[in-house]
Amino acid sequence: MSNRVKVSRAGHARAGNSARRCQANARQVWKPALRWVALLCTVCLVGTATPLSAAGRKVVVLGIDGMDPKLLQSFVDQGRMPNFKALMKDGDFRPLQTTMPPQSPVAWSTFMTGLDPGGHGIFDFIHVDPVKMAPYNSMAVAEAGGRPVNVGSWSFPTSGGGVRLLRKGKTFWQMLGDHGLRSTIFRMPVNFPPVKAPGRSLSGMGTPDLIGSQGTFSFYTDHRKDWPAQISGGEIFEVTVRSNRVDGQLYGPPNTFRRFPTKESLELLEKGRAVSINYDNPKLTQDFVVYVDPKARAAKLVLGDQELVLKEKEWSNWVHAEFEAIPHVITISSAVRFYLKQLSPKFELYVTPLQIDPEDPVMPISQPANWSKELCSQLGRFYTHNIPEDAQAFKAGVLSAGEFWDQMMLAYEERSRALDYLLAHPVEDFLFVYFGTVDQGSHMLWHFMDREHPGYVQDDLLKDGIPKLYEMLDSRLGRVREAIGKETTLVVMSDHGFAPFYWEVNLNTWLLEQGFIALKDPSKQESGEFFSNVDWSRTQAYAAGLNGLYVNLKGREKAGSVTPGPEADAVVDKLEKALLSMKDPRNNRSPVSLVVRPHRDFKGPEKDKGPDILVGYSRGYRCSWESPLGEFPKAVFVNNHSPWSGDHCMDYREVPGILLTNLRISNPTPTLADLTVSLLQQYGITPPEGLTGKNVLEPKK
Amino acid sequence: MFGPKVKLDKALYEKLKMYSTIAGYSSVEEFVHHALEKEIKQFEGATSEEEIRQKLKGLGYIS
Repeated sequence: MSNRVKVSRAGHARAGNSARRCQANARQVWKPALRWVALLCTVCLVGTATPLSAAGRKVVVLGIDGMDPKLLQSFVDQGRMPNFKALMKDGDFRPLQTTMPPQSPVAWSTFMTGLDPGGHGIFDFIHVDPVKMAPYNSMAVAEAGGRPVNVGSWSFPTSGGGVRLLRKGKTFWQMLGDHGLRSTIFRMPVNFPPVKAPGRSLSGMGTPDLIGSQGTFSFYTDHRKDWPAQISGGEIFEVTVRSNRVDGQLYGPPNTFRRFPTKESLELLEKGRAVSINYDNPKLTQDFVVYVDPKARAAKLVLGDQELVLKEKEWSNWVHAEFEAIPHVITISSAVRFYLKQLSPKFELYVTPLQIDPEDPVMPISQPANWSKELCSQLGRFYTHNIPEDAQAFKAGVLSAGEFWDQMMLAYEERSRALDYLLAHPVEDFLFVYFGTVDQGSHMLWHFMDREHPGYVQDDLLKDGIPKLYEMLDSRLGRVREAIGKETTLVVMSDHGFAPFYWEVNLNTWLLEQGFIALKDPSKQESGEFFSNVDWSRTQAYAAGLNGLYVNLKGREKAGSVTPGPEADAVVDKLEKALLSMKDPRNNRSPVSLVVRPHRDFKGPEKDKGPDILVGYSRGYRCSWESPLGEFPKAVFVNNHSPWSGDHCMDYREVPGILLTNLRISNPTPTLADLTVSLLQQYGITPPEGLTGKNVLEPKK
Repeated sequence: MFGPKVKLDKALYEKLKMYSTIAGYSSVEEFVHHALEKEIKQFEGATSEEEIRQKLKGLGYIS
C-alpha cells in the first residue's frame, strides 16, 4: 500500500511538471469555447464491500485484439512462442467465446461491461438512424455547440459542443473504483471519451482523428490522374513541382468560427434568385512546403517553424501542426507523420491522419485530462486515433505491403514503449494494456500465407508476416512476465480470433433478388449510395453495417412499410429461413450458418435498438465491401481480391478469442462476459445485478 | 486570353510578378489563377451526408 501512495505522488509530480512545460509552450489561446466537453458517466455504487482478504490484489490484463487460438497454438507448437508456451504450462489456456457479432466494438464492450449488446447497445461498427435513414459510427457521436452569434463571415457559438460515448453500461474498472481500487486503462476500445474512474485511462479504438473521422490519410501527388476521384479512408491532393518546390496544405476540421455561403446558395444568387443564404464552415488549413533535392533523392519539408529533411522512402517523426481558427486567439493543435514515398518521376507524399495532439488535446482522450500530456512528456507524441495501422492506405495502393508493414511497426513500437513505461512503475491495483497490431496484420497479411485465398500473393517475406506479429507479442508477454510478481494475476485475452475472407456476400443484392427490397429504377441498380434508389413503400427489409439486417418498420424507419407485431415477426421468420437456406451456386456452400435475433436472444434495455437480425456468415464468407453502406452490386457472391484478406465478422463460433492466465480456468468454454465477472472476483467483488457471466478463474491447485 | 480582366494595384502586381517567378510559375496569370483556385476551394465543402459516409470509410471494413 505504501508503494502505491509513493507511485501516485510521483505520478502527480510528473504530471505537474509536464503540465507546466505544456503551459510554458502553449500559445495564448482561448480554448474553453472550442473544446468539446465529454459527457461522463455517472458513477453509482453497486455491489458489496471489498473483503479485507482481497486488499493488495493486483491484476494485469494484456489485451491483444484479434489473437486467434488455433494460430496461437500452431505457432507455439512450431516453437516460435516461448513465453506463451511457458504461460500455458504454468497456468492455463482456453479459447474465449466471443460475442455475436464478433466485431471489436461489440466484443470489447461486452468484456468491459459484462453485458451483451442488449445491455451495452453496441451491435456493429455502423448503426443506422432509422428516422434520417443515415449511417453513423456506433461508438461515439459529436454534438454541436450552442446557437452561434454571427458577425460577417465570423461565427461564435454561445456554448461549446461535445462528444458523447454511445456505449451503455458500467465498466468493470468503474466498479473497481467504487471499491476504492485504482486502474490504469491504456487504449481500451469503445471508451472515447474515457469514462471517469479512479486511476487513469487513455481512449483507443473509436477515438476520432482531428477531422472527426475514423482515420483519413492524405496523399499528395503531381500525378493525380493516376488515382480515382475518391478513395476510401483517405484524400488525394494534386500538387505541382515547380523549381523543385511543392506547396501543399493540411486540411483540418471545419472552422466553426468562420462561415461562407454554400456553393448552392451562390449559384442561386448568380441566377438572380432571391434565396435565404445557407452557410458552410470552411476547412482549417496549415500550409507546408517541400523543397526537393533531386540529386540527393531527399527533400526539406517546412511546416510552420519546423524543418525536417527526409530521404525518399523515409518516415518523419511526429510533426506538430497547428490550425488557427481565429488568428492569434484560437489554435487547434495536431500532429502528423510524413512519408516521402517518391520524389521522381512522380512526386508522392503520404501524411497520416491528423491526430488529436496528446500534448494539447482538443478533445478528451484521457482521464484525467492531463494524463495524455504526461504520457507525451515521457514517450513523445503518439498515434491517438481509432486504429493507427493504416490498412486503408494499403487497400488503396497508396502504401505498398512493405510500406504498410513499416507503418504498422511504427505504431507497434509506440505501444511497446508505452507498455515498458507502464510496467516500469508498480501496478496500482489493475492494469490493462491493448495491442492492435495482430488484428490489423491478420486483416491485411492473410493472403500472403494462404494459398487458397483468391487474392493470394507470393511474397517470401510477408508470408511469414502474421507469425512474426505473434512472435512480437510473445516478446511483449515476456516483458510483462518479467515485470510483475508471481502474486499478480496475469490475464492475456483477445476479443475474437480470425478466419480467411475468401468470398463476399452482397446481402442487399440478395435481399433484392429475394423480393425483400424494391428499387425505384432497376436499370440503375449499381448507382447511388445508402439506398438512394430504394422504393421504401415496397421494401420489407434492408441490410446495413457488417452483420445487421433491419425490417423496414412503420413508426421506426423514415418510410416504414411493415407493421410492428405479427406482420414484422413474419418477415423476420421468413428472413431467417431464407438466410439459412442461402446457397452459393459457385461451390454449393451455405454462406450463412447462424441467425441471431436480438429481440429474442439478447437481454437488456437496448436489445430493440439495434438490427432485427444479426447474420452469422460461414467460415470464408463475409458481407461485401459495398453492402454495409447500402449499395447494390450486380452479383450476390464475389471473390474477395482485396489485401484485406482475413476477417472475423461472421458466425461467432468460427472466431473465438484467447484466454491465458497464470491461474486455472475452471470452465472449458469461458466467455467474454465470464471474464468481466472473474476480474471483479479477483478482488472479492460480487458482480452487480444484470451481469450473467460466471467466475472462471480459480487458484492453481 | 481575352477573358474577364481584374484590376490590381501596381504594388500588388509587382509583388505577384516577383513571387510568381520565384515560385516557378510561367506567368503572373498562372500564379493568380492558382492562388484564387486555392481560395475558392474553401467555399466548396462536401455536404454533411457525404462527409458522414466518408468519415465512416476510415474503418477499413467497408469500401
